[in-house]
Amino acid sequence: MRAVVFDGVVLGLQFGLLGVGLTLVYGLAGVLNLAQGQLAVLGAIVAALRIDAGTAVIPAVLAGVAVAGTVGLVLDLTLMRPVYRRRGEDRVLLGLLLMLGVAFIIDGVLVWRYPIEALTLRIGGDPVDILGVRMRTGSLLASAIALGVGAVLVLFLRYATTGKAVRSVIQDEEGAQLCGVSPATVRAFVFALSGALAALVAVTRSMTSPVTVNAGIDFTILALIVAVVGGLGSVSGAFLAGILLGIVNTVSAHYIGTYVTTIILLGAAAVTIVLRPSGLLGAGRE
Amino acid sequence: MAMLEVAELSAGYLGEDVVHDVSFAVAEGEAVAVIGSNGAGKTTVFRAVCGLQRPSRGSVRLDGRPITRRRAHDIARRGLAYVPAERHLFPDMTVAENLDLGAFPRRPGPERRALVLGLFPRLAERHRQRAGTLSGGEQQMLAVGRALMSEPRLLLLDEPTTGLAPTVAAAAYAALTALREQGLTIVVAEQQVPLAFGFADRGYVLESGRIQLDGRVAELEDNPDVQRAYLGVA
Repeated sequence: MRAVVFDGVVLGLQFGLLGVGLTLVYGLAGVLNLAQGQLAVLGAIVAALRIDAGTAVIPAVLAGVAVAGTVGLVLDLTLMRPVYRRRGEDRVLLGLLLMLGVAFIIDGVLVWRYPIEALTLRIGGDPVDILGVRMRTGSLLASAIALGVGAVLVLFLRYATTGKAVRSVIQDEEGAQLCGVSPATVRAFVFALSGALAALVAVTRSMTSPVTVNAGIDFTILALIVAVVGGLGSVSGAFLAGILLGIVNTVSAHYIGTYVTTIILLGAAAVTIVLRPSGLLGAGRE
Repeated sequence: MAMLEVAELSAGYLGEDVVHDVSFAVAEGEAVAVIGSNGAGKTTVFRAVCGLQRPSRGSVRLDGRPITRRRAHDIARRGLAYVPAERHLFPDMTVAENLDLGAFPRRPGPERRALVLGLFPRLAERHRQRAGTLSGGEQQMLAVGRALMSEPRLLLLDEPTTGLAPTVAAAAYAALTALREQGLTIVVAEQQVPLAFGFADRGYVLESGRIQLDGRVAELEDNPDVQRAYLGVA
């Protein structure tokens, strides 16, 4: 049981990071990025192609993360422009549809061009004993990266001037403008950040299991569930939700079967929406 | 040269102008009141001046430079601070964080912070408290304090006394008077006309989206129409 829970935490930390990107973009821009998972896979495939071409692992991974971040930035500056001119429900719907289209395009191109490509990072070294559970080094490294990046992100949002500016736009966009914060700049920054984080999650996932070209939709669904359970707009909520759902995921996969885990995760999300409509922690409080 | 110069400004919502042909000017160091009843268009004028809303016609100049089509964050960085009636604080951030953001993109200097906290000692007591949990009067102090953090040269306030108890409203104007004495140029929109007249040098009367009257406060106070409509004189 303990080993299963540990695996859940490993998975959950990465879920959290995936959800954070989605939740920040939604909180800032009112856009539900349904291409989040596809950006993740895009980053992973770029890294895999670089590695195939002989690039060392770390530069290859960084290239993948950079490409996903850049695509996020470009989407914000081009396709999302008409979305930002709208308000309320209109904006959410148009953003949803456009990002769904982007998801299909990225999926399509990747499957067409690189049907059998996948990113697998083998982390060497013997398993390490943690509280009586033998943990693979890949799992530990993936968790360490997710934890480290998550911690840096939380500290950045809490203390850095730019981080405060991000939160200010989430809480009151007009108030932020009056303070001299440009919502458009903050949005572009966070869109890029969210793409880069997604790719990073795909990279850490590939340390324990291969990330294939068609994994995008799974990542997107996970990100959505995590963000909703954590409360759209809440970073610490997304992390908490990620860890909880990671544990739910591995426990149900271990004791019931993999085929029901997505149903159970969606069920958990539905229950959260009914009991706590604004998520575990509510939006904007970090 | 006027510090703020608004010429033939028209603005509104959804293609329908609410204010028409509004022109006024504010010189450096002046205190100016814009008075008018609810719905006269005071807020629309301010929003168009500070860039939160595109005017449909007319121009706005700050220090002689046109800022008409500039965005709100850009205008804020040029030294024009606007305190809206709804305050637009960051409710889940602390008082300290709200003040820090006022200085964005710079980090706030210690002298500035000391000046603001000296003006509103209450904010120092509430430093670690979330802005959303403050009383109405404290939120108004925070809104003004946050605006001051950017070291603006021109402060626009929309109905700063809305929802405040009379003693708190009087204290708010005492703080504004102190700011004036330090050389800040202030334009205030106000429904509580006696308060505004006690503070300002000059005034504009806005009715149905047009400026109907303007002059020195003493002249406006003697005007029978103003007396009847705003000062409760029969």
